[in-house]
Amino acid sequence: MAPPPVLILESLRQQIASCESQLQDLRRQLAEAEHQQRAAQQHAHDRLRTSAPAPFGDPLTHDMRYGIHDDFRSEVFAALSQGEEEQAGEEEQRPPGRRWPLDAVEYRRYGRQLIMPEVGLQGQLRLKNAAVLIIGMGGLGCPAAAYLAGAGVGTIGLVDGDVVEESNLHRQILHSTARVGMTKVESAMVALNSLNPNVKLVSHTTRLSPETALSTMQPYDLVLDCTDNPASRYLISDTCVLLGKTLVSASALRTDGQLMVLNNPPMPPGSTSGGPCYRCVFPKPPPPESVVSCGDGGILGPVVGIMGVLQALEAIKVLTRNSNPSIPETPPDPPSLLIFSAYSSPMFRSIRLRTRKAKCAACSAQASVTPEALNSGSLDYVQFCGVINPVDALSPNERISVNNYAKIRLDVNPFTGTEPSKDSHILVDVREKVEFDLCNVEGSVNVPFSTVTSTRSSGPNGTSNGQQGNEEQSWVSELKSYPDKPIFVLCRRGNDSQITVKKMRELGLDLGGQRWIGDIKGGLNAWRDSVDPEFPEY
Amino acid sequence: MTPGKSPAGHFSILYFAAASTFTAKSTEHLLAPVQAGKLFDRLEQKYPGIKDKVLSSCAVTVNLEYIDLDGDDAPNVDLVIKEGDEVAIIPPVSSG
Repeated sequence: MAPPPVLILESLRQQIASCESQLQDLRRQLAEAEHQQRAAQQHAHDRLRTSAPAPFGDPLTHDMRYGIHDDFRSEVFAALSQGEEEQAGEEEQRPPGRRWPLDAVEYRRYGRQLIMPEVGLQGQLRLKNAAVLIIGMGGLGCPAAAYLAGAGVGTIGLVDGDVVEESNLHRQILHSTARVGMTKVESAMVALNSLNPNVKLVSHTTRLSPETALSTMQPYDLVLDCTDNPASRYLISDTCVLLGKTLVSASALRTDGQLMVLNNPPMPPGSTSGGPCYRCVFPKPPPPESVVSCGDGGILGPVVGIMGVLQALEAIKVLTRNSNPSIPETPPDPPSLLIFSAYSSPMFRSIRLRTRKAKCAACSAQASVTPEALNSGSLDYVQFCGVINPVDALSPNERISVNNYAKIRLDVNPFTGTEPSKDSHILVDVREKVEFDLCNVEGSVNVPFSTVTSTRSSGPNGTSNGQQGNEEQSWVSELKSYPDKPIFVLCRRGNDSQITVKKMRELGLDLGGQRWIGDIKGGLNAWRDSVDPEFPEY
Repeated sequence: MTPGKSPAGHFSILYFAAASTFTAKSTEHLLAPVQAGKLFDRLEQKYPGIKDKVLSSCAVTVNLEYIDLDGDDAPNVDLVIKEGDEVAIIPPVSSG
């Protein structure tokens, strides 16, 4: 029998992993339900006991319809509450019948951090009793979750609405090749559970929204913002202020990262002794067209990894602060913004932040962000941060589809009978040089979009700025030297190409309408979909 | 990105993330003194468009200390950036 194709193996593995994570989720739900049931029974028992005094003196003849006899009850409940110290509240409280505050496996597993004065027994119990919410299971969330689970944080909630893609794997270290296509939350749960099965994991497999933010974040002690867009950063920060929770916020792009511990200490809005929030530091969102994703801008794995690891570190510091009774208590660190820049020297710069902003929309006495506004959906974070509409800058006769362009390249012209020729026109690819060098269409010339946008069209007085380099000019004169050839402009998705066509007109490259200049609709993505399936996707 | 010591009569300015992309520089030296509230106008002259596209949402620091320039009555608009100071333009990075 021939061996089963790789795809089947892959699919089976995925299904097993998915079932395992569902099973785990069911176990968690069962444990919660059992706990609630026990609590309800105890409540009912207490009620019955006050209304119906035990009719018999001998515990062995006790009527079990009214619950267990008092003499047994404490023992039974002690047995039932084994392993549920987190509900007990007081960290010093040792479960009855237990000799040591931690299990033997816990002493062994956490031994290397337990012997540090910064953690110690009390610090470990704090971690064990803590619930941390990690929003975003990507490049930041994966390393952050791994270290927090490793450290023995009792409950970790995971929020993400995406599924694992192959292009995530170079940096999102909890996911794996076999789990491509699985939700990021389920994939992370599989990895975290195998790392430390003692951690209770709670899945939230949807994107956070203003309507769900308060209820999702309420049960947690600390929140980590590991998301990837401005709207969610403001939403998470605002919600943390409203709920009085400290927020560890980080971000990364290309070779740079930022880290802040916000709302620390988490005082109510209006209190000047609370730590600043995200709005205090960045009151205005960046213009939407300037926001670059990792997919478009790129990201180096270790850069985002460092930022995620730092988030886990700050979370551990916040949770275990002042847990060692032999070290004098200290106030929280003054607020700071840590800037990481992998190719700078020094790589780290720490900026002292100010206290809460007097007019902050979220945490000041004049705050306009309220729980009611959040729940009602009247706070539109997407609107606040702005939306980019797809570029639609050109008229239909300035554009050509990939299929028609392919005909120009490949087919004999049915009317004139002329042979196709790549020399009949100029194909300009406006991706940045590094992308052009990865793969390009034969015969295309590269004029990077950054060069296009920084080239100034001569103003009415014809003066050009002294900054203008020779390189920027040379591409214009080069194109002008072939005045009879139409210009086709190509980019990755079909947006930059349209802007370039407009710019070329402004620069006079259309020779007053004598020469056709247009963009290839949908760019190289469409080219791959419709014409050349082997053109690399990256 | 190592700004080095700024020449006499200058301060150094560091551009991070989108500010570095826009200016195509990570650092440079500019003439001192300049009033903090006028810094963005100075940069706009040098890099047309930078104010709306980048600076409007940026954090600004002087000698590793955050300064508040949000609004005409912001606490630090009158602060004077002096010779030898190190200014940083820090756009919010939101991806991750």
